[in-house]
Amino acid sequence: MNRKRSLLQNIFLTLAILTVLFFCLFPFIQILSTSLKHQFDWGNPSLIPVKFNFDAYKELLGFVGSTEEQIPQTIKKLLDNPLITKEQREKILSKYISTSDVFPFPRFFLNTFLLSSSAASISLALAVFGAYAFSRLRFGGRTIIQRSTLFVYMVGGVMLMVPLYQMSVKVGLAKTVWGSLFSLLLIYIIQTLPVSLYMLGNYFRTIPYSIEEAATTDGCSRIQSIFLIIIPLSVPMLVTVFVYCFIIAWNEFLFASVFLKQYHNFHTLPLALQSLFVSKNAIWDRIMAASMLTLIPVVICFLFVMRHLSGGLAEGGVKE
Amino acid sequence: MASVIFENVNKWFGKTKVLHNINLEIEESEFVVLVGPSGCGKSTTLRLLAGLEDITEGKIYINDKMVNFLEPQHRNIAMVFQNYALYPHKNVQENIIFGLKRAKASKDLIESRLDKASKMLQLQDLLDRKPAQLSGGQRQRVAMGRAIVRDADVFLYDEPLSNLDAKLRSQMRYEIRRIHREYQTTSIYVTHDQVEAMTLGDRVVVMRDGFIEQEGSPMDLYLKPKNIFVATFIGAPSMNILDAILYPGYIELEDQKLPLDKHLVKESIPPAGKKVKFGIRPDFFQDEQHASGSESLTTLKNVRIDIIEPLGYDRELNLQLGNQNLKARLDLRTVVKESETINLCFDMNRAHIFDIETEKNLTL
Amino acid sequence: MELTPAQRESQLGWRLIAPCLGVIGLLIIYPIVYNIYLSFFDVKLTGDKIFIGLANYEKLLTDTAFYGSVLTTFIYLVGTVFGTTLVALLVALLMNLEFPLRSLVRTLILLPYFAPVISVVFGWQFIFDPVNGIYNHVVVEVLGIATERHNLIGEPKTALFVVIVFDIWKHFPISYLLIVSKLQSINKDHYEAAAIDGYGPFGRFIHVTLPELYFVLGTLIILRLIWNLNKFEDVFLLAPNVETLPIFTYYTAFTGIIDQGFAATISVVQFMVLSFLIYFYVKKVLRW
Repeated sequence: MNRKRSLLQNIFLTLAILTVLFFCLFPFIQILSTSLKHQFDWGNPSLIPVKFNFDAYKELLGFVGSTEEQIPQTIKKLLDNPLITKEQREKILSKYISTSDVFPFPRFFLNTFLLSSSAASISLALAVFGAYAFSRLRFGGRTIIQRSTLFVYMVGGVMLMVPLYQMSVKVGLAKTVWGSLFSLLLIYIIQTLPVSLYMLGNYFRTIPYSIEEAATTDGCSRIQSIFLIIIPLSVPMLVTVFVYCFIIAWNEFLFASVFLKQYHNFHTLPLALQSLFVSKNAIWDRIMAASMLTLIPVVICFLFVMRHLSGGLAEGGVKE
Repeated sequence: MASVIFENVNKWFGKTKVLHNINLEIEESEFVVLVGPSGCGKSTTLRLLAGLEDITEGKIYINDKMVNFLEPQHRNIAMVFQNYALYPHKNVQENIIFGLKRAKASKDLIESRLDKASKMLQLQDLLDRKPAQLSGGQRQRVAMGRAIVRDADVFLYDEPLSNLDAKLRSQMRYEIRRIHREYQTTSIYVTHDQVEAMTLGDRVVVMRDGFIEQEGSPMDLYLKPKNIFVATFIGAPSMNILDAILYPGYIELEDQKLPLDKHLVKESIPPAGKKVKFGIRPDFFQDEQHASGSESLTTLKNVRIDIIEPLGYDRELNLQLGNQNLKARLDLRTVVKESETINLCFDMNRAHIFDIETEKNLTL
Repeated sequence: MELTPAQRESQLGWRLIAPCLGVIGLLIIYPIVYNIYLSFFDVKLTGDKIFIGLANYEKLLTDTAFYGSVLTTFIYLVGTVFGTTLVALLVALLMNLEFPLRSLVRTLILLPYFAPVISVVFGWQFIFDPVNGIYNHVVVEVLGIATERHNLIGEPKTALFVVIVFDIWKHFPISYLLIVSKLQSINKDHYEAAAIDGYGPFGRFIHVTLPELYFVLGTLIILRLIWNLNKFEDVFLLAPNVETLPIFTYYTAFTGIIDQGFAATISVVQFMVLSFLIYFYVKKVLRW
């Protein structure tokens, strides 16, 4: 198979690769491009803006206040009329200036970030001990639990939307804002716990038993060996699992919508973006800019995880 | 140092019984070797003592204290594993002192113990390295270093040398002996290699299928094996085991009648003869022409030489007597050629006669 | 009574897994059972319930919207699962070849999978926007395939097509990863032997690659079926008018005429289909 490729084969190969790359990356480029275009430019098929427009970003990130340009000329003339009372003026203005405060991106970002990282942390903590138990400790019923992790993993949250909501209502959590947030946190934990258990369980099984046996004869209790041996040897995996859970929570829309719809200030990003899109402020550049801003943290995490995922951590400890 | 006692220890894994009535008393500072083929239960016995497996029946005492309910970390033992089991994320120094830190030893104590151990095992230059950067022999030395710094009551070795090449193995045997001489800790060593057993052990315990076949000093086992299994397991090349018929006053081996003192055999021999197995080590044969003390020696005549294996100072001869094969080890004075015959002499007192059914040694 | 080390280990095992079991029991097992219970009631948003026996199930049998949703779901599943697997296979074969900058390309093609759904759906909506989107521009003005601009996402039937393509785009990377790791483990000697036997590239693919991949492909197909049956965000946020089962359930439960009991019933049916698929996966593929 080491024959050199003919020129024709090389051309085909390059075309194929470019097609795949284009297929994968075009939507991202489109988003970036539109986020930087002025309104007149949106219909322009070219990906490069005729004139760069940073207003969308400025507004979303809170650098710019209101958008008075939105006010049509006729209304402006009306407002200049000194006969209008203050209340009337404000009423008219409110119809047009409301855009500025409608998408406080940093707050939604923070909401989502806090919720996702809390859920991911709790999920990871529970999963580390649980996965350790069923992959490295011997106890009755262990195999059943191992096998049911897969089942539980697949019976996702979406199918349970009705009972979970009803349970929250019954307990009274759905009535208050903090109760709803707490319900959401629990739901994010349950959506990420099975997959964490599964991934960590598989990984822990690859760490040789004899290393832990050595630690016990060296004077470690089981719990100590979890903290001193297993966890240090699993750091890349722990990070991967955390990031995976974080992303699942970050992306989640259904339950966020069910529980947080009425509490605008506590919206998560998916919820806020969706509301923005269906509101009267649906302006493409804003939406695209918001999309980019939600995209960038995830891409950074992704690149970070990619770089640090290296195998063979237990190398050297044990004779293969 | 501590004494170790196994009292009526039986072990089941599920429904399979893997250890049968193990009774063993090990004194302070003794170096005991458990030896036997794979699956004989020697590692299991060790692990039971370490606390890595539960004792189904029976008791184990360390220093007269019963340890059945103690977890490994509370038994004050140190163990060297077959596959080293080093902590991959720690460097050599941290690996060695890990146990001491668990025990909250003082900094000075840690330093002095580390110093002593790393000097003894020549690890001073490797202290910064991680296990992945070490060779197999170096890793094993780190594993031993980790064990010896702790002033444990018992050292346990689980086939530590089986992953090393022959040269390294003999070097490490020397290290282990030095460690024992220096630290004098009660040690229990598991191996399938009978050479290691003979060279390292104060006492050797031969195991098979979960039973202790025989225990004693290496020489005891070599000269007075209780049954065919021990006889052939200990010593290389193995003892020759030949079919023979025992009569009062002599033994018939391939039509040759070899006289023997009737007190040699500890039970009565039926006049019609009894089928037995006759055992004689290859090392105990001498060439008739160069034999010393030939009056008291028995001679086996006309043994046909099949293949000669020159081993340097010795020659190992693969021979045939009738339909049976045997081996002899003779020195260079013997000049023979394949397909010739030779007469071999031996001292009948060095020979053994085994019962054909029970395989027990009838001369003991 | 004193405990042996193994007994202590057993105790510790249970203690460490108890929190997980508790959470899973409370938030998955119990809701499944509760869901079945609720399906026999007329349930309001406030939590008030009236027992109606099998009425919900009877309604299910005659509800055309439900059957419509089932059909939509079926088409969606077939389209996405086979599309994803096919694209993943082709890309895996491509990425298995050597070419410059391969590792960079390999990283870049994973991007659609890791991007949050919410970040990309609006981009996709823009692409298909009748006024500004590039799709219409290309199809009508450049290629001349259609005579006028269509809002693909506006119509449920054509939106289904867009949703399927979106799902393939988003999820082929993970299937690709699984296939490519299996591809790389295939012994090169097999290919050499096949080449000597006279097989060209296509023949080698059929006789060497495919047999090795049967298991991985089978696993992927079942897993994607299970996964896509549960999908919500990927469809709803792109085209809420495509009513796959989860979305249909959502509308029934939280919008319009709220009938949470009926929604529970639909979930029960979905759960049964899912259990069957999981059972099939476990028995046939994992051979437990």
